[in-house]
This record gives sequence, C-alpha cells and structure tokens, in this order.
Amino acid sequence: MKQFQLTSAHLTPILLAVAALVSACSSVPTTTSLLDQTRSDYRMAQANPAVVNYAPVELNQAGVALEQANAAASQNDSLEKIDQLAYVARQKIALSQEIARKKVAEADAATATKERSLVQLDQRTNEANKAKASAEQSKAEAQVAQGQAADAQRNAADAQRNADEARRSADEARRKTEAAQVTAQQTQVRNAQLEAQLAELAAKKTERGLIITLGDVLFGTGLARLSPDGVRTVQKLADVLQQNPQRRVLVEGFTDSTGTTAHNQDLSERRAGAVQTALQDMGITRDRVSMRGYGESYPVASNDSTQDRQLNRRVEILLSDDTGRTVQR
Amino acid sequence: MTNYSKPWMMLLGSAAIVLSAGCSSLKTPATVDVAVSKAAVDNARDAGGAEFAPAEMNAAREKMALANKAMADKDYKLALNLANQAQADAKLAQAKANSAKAQAVANTLQEDIRVMREELDRANK
Repeated sequence: MKQFQLTSAHLTPILLAVAALVSACSSVPTTTSLLDQTRSDYRMAQANPAVVNYAPVELNQAGVALEQANAAASQNDSLEKIDQLAYVARQKIALSQEIARKKVAEADAATATKERSLVQLDQRTNEANKAKASAEQSKAEAQVAQGQAADAQRNAADAQRNADEARRSADEARRKTEAAQVTAQQTQVRNAQLEAQLAELAAKKTERGLIITLGDVLFGTGLARLSPDGVRTVQKLADVLQQNPQRRVLVEGFTDSTGTTAHNQDLSERRAGAVQTALQDMGITRDRVSMRGYGESYPVASNDSTQDRQLNRRVEILLSDDTGRTVQR
Repeated sequence: MTNYSKPWMMLLGSAAIVLSAGCSSLKTPATVDVAVSKAAVDNARDAGGAEFAPAEMNAAREKMALANKAMADKDYKLALNLANQAQADAKLAQAKANSAKAQAVANTLQEDIRVMREELDRANK
C-alpha cells in the first residue's frame, strides 16, 4: 500500500491558493452606484408581499442576476462588466414588480367584476321594486276610481229614489187635494140639498140654529096625533136626518093659554113625543131626538084671538149644528 | 506498433467530444441569445411597449441594433452583453404594457361601479 507523502512539490500550490484567498478577503470589495441602487431595489422588491406572492419566479431570477453582479464585484471585475450585470439585474427586478402590479390589477378587476354584478343586481331589484310599486299604485288608483264610480252610481240611485218619492208625494198630495175638493164639493152639494130641503120645511134661522115649526093644523085639535100632512112633513125631516147622520134634533112642544096649565104641559109633551115616535118609526134612533114640553110658556103671539092662539099651539124642531149640539132654551 | 490500453482511448475520445462541443459553441456564442432577445423585442412591440413603456422600448431597440452590429463585427462577447440587456429591457417593456392594460381594465370597472352606484342612489331618492 502506497502512503500519501506531503512534499514541497505539493505544498507550493496550496500555499499560493491560501495567499490568493487571503488577499482577496483583505481587499475592499468593488462596487458601483448602479449596483448599490440595484441592491436597494432588490431589498424593496423582497419586502413587497405582492411581488413575493405574485412574481416569485421573476424575483428569483432577478436575485440570480444580482448574485452574478455581486460575484463580478467581489471578483474585482471591470466596472463596466459590473454595471452591465447590475443593469440587467435591475431591469429584472423592475420586471418582477411590473408583473406583480399586473397581477394585482387583475385581482382588482376580478373583485370589481363581482362587485359590479352585485350593483347590477341591486339596480335590477330596484327597477323591479319600482315597477311593482307603480303597478300597486295604479291598482290602488283604479280601486279608488271604481269606488268613486260606485259612489256616483249610489248617489244617482238615491237621487232617483228621492225623485220617485217626491213624485209619489206630489201625486198623493194631488190626490188628497182632489179628494178634498171632491169632499168639499160633496159637502157643498149636501149643504145645498139640506138648505133646499129645509126651505121646503120652512126652516127659520134663529140665534139657536135652524128651527122648523110644525103648526097646529098638522095635529088633530086637542090631540097628540099627527095628521097625514104632519106625517109627510116629519117624513121630510126624517129624510134630512138620514142624509145628515151627524145632526140631531130637539123637539119642543108648546100650547096656548086655554085650559089648565097641567093639561097644556101634558099636551105639549105628548105632541113632542108624537113627533119623536114618528121619527123613530121612520128609522131615526131615539138618542138623536131630544124632547121637551113647555106647555103655554114661550108664546109667539097673544092668546087674545083664535088666530093667534093657533099660532101658539105648535111644535118647534131645533136642528143641531154639524157636531150634533143643540142649545136648550 | 504502439499498443494503447482501452481506458486511455476512451479518455481521449471523451476529451475530443467535449472540446469539439466547446469549440462549436464558441464559434457563434451569441447567436441564440441575440435571436431570443429579438423575439423578446418583437413580443414587447406587439404588446404595445412603444405606447406604454417608450423608454424601455427605445433602449431595447437601440441595444438590439448594437448587438446585431457587434455580431457582424464578430465581437460576440459585446453582442451577448447587449442582447442580454436588450432582452431585459424588452421584457420589462412588455410587462409594463401588460400591467398598464390590466390597470386600465380595473379602473374602467371601478368607474362603471361608481357610475352605477350614483344612478342607484339617484333612483332611490
């Protein structure tokens, strides 16, 4: 086995190399302002997270280029060569920053695109809401218009009803007026008839009312019985009472002063009673006929002559007014 | 006749291959770099480098012209340096153009959003 022996022939190159290394270390490393600037740029790029994240490959390549420039500087290459390498490194650093800037802008654009979509959605929503609101308002207005139309219709119907009612009222009033006119005419006719009939009966208008006098000739002399003429006269009176059911009569009997007072009183009452009975026989109820005898009281003439005494012998029939009232003597 | 051992022959052959390869690359050492740099300058021009990064674009073109001249003068070392610098300039110009365009897109979007928000606010008043 051959052993490695350290000889001077081996030692010399080693010592030379050591010397070269020592001299290299001791010398001040060469640099240029461009290289310094490039190093500064590189540190800035490394400190920029956008560059580190978005352009790692380019930043790495710039670092390699800077290392070449640094190596040239440490090897004391010519300033021209150092600057050339530094220039390339600096451009590569700028490239990495520019690429990072582009990526950032692209990311911004992506975010903005999403945001724009959201704003567009807001716009569409807004438009839709407005359209909806407008439609609802139109609907509400239509309902209001409908309501107004219905009101107008109701008012028109009310007016029609009122007009109808007014017409009916007018018709009724006219009918009533006509009826009243008819009634008035009837009353007039009836009054006229009554007056004509009473004229036939020779009725007299006095303060107490209409008085019909049945003279002595209508009775048998000294008797309380009506003669046929008397019956005819009473019949006319009964007709009047039939036609005027609201009227009543007061029958009053009178005599002359011949004979006893008691006899005369009795005769006057009997004559009045005969008239009442006759009227009753002719259909006039007893309650409508009052009766009184006054004997020889209330003479209408002196009792001196036969003619005058005949005037005093009479029956007076007082016709009531329209309400059936008679005034007593 | 000299008798060479087989290992020695292999060593010689390998050395010859390595040397010949080294020599061939040394013949036109900057050709590939210049071509790549020219492509980079063309790409930067197509991306709108002249518009968005005129300084870098001009530097790249001037250095490319100088690199071509150095190639013609067979100063390959200078040509390589200039080509590398031109390539760095061109790539930076292209990146600036691209980032400027991306920024413009982002700005346009932001402006759109601002206008839309204004309309929305007006509509909601």
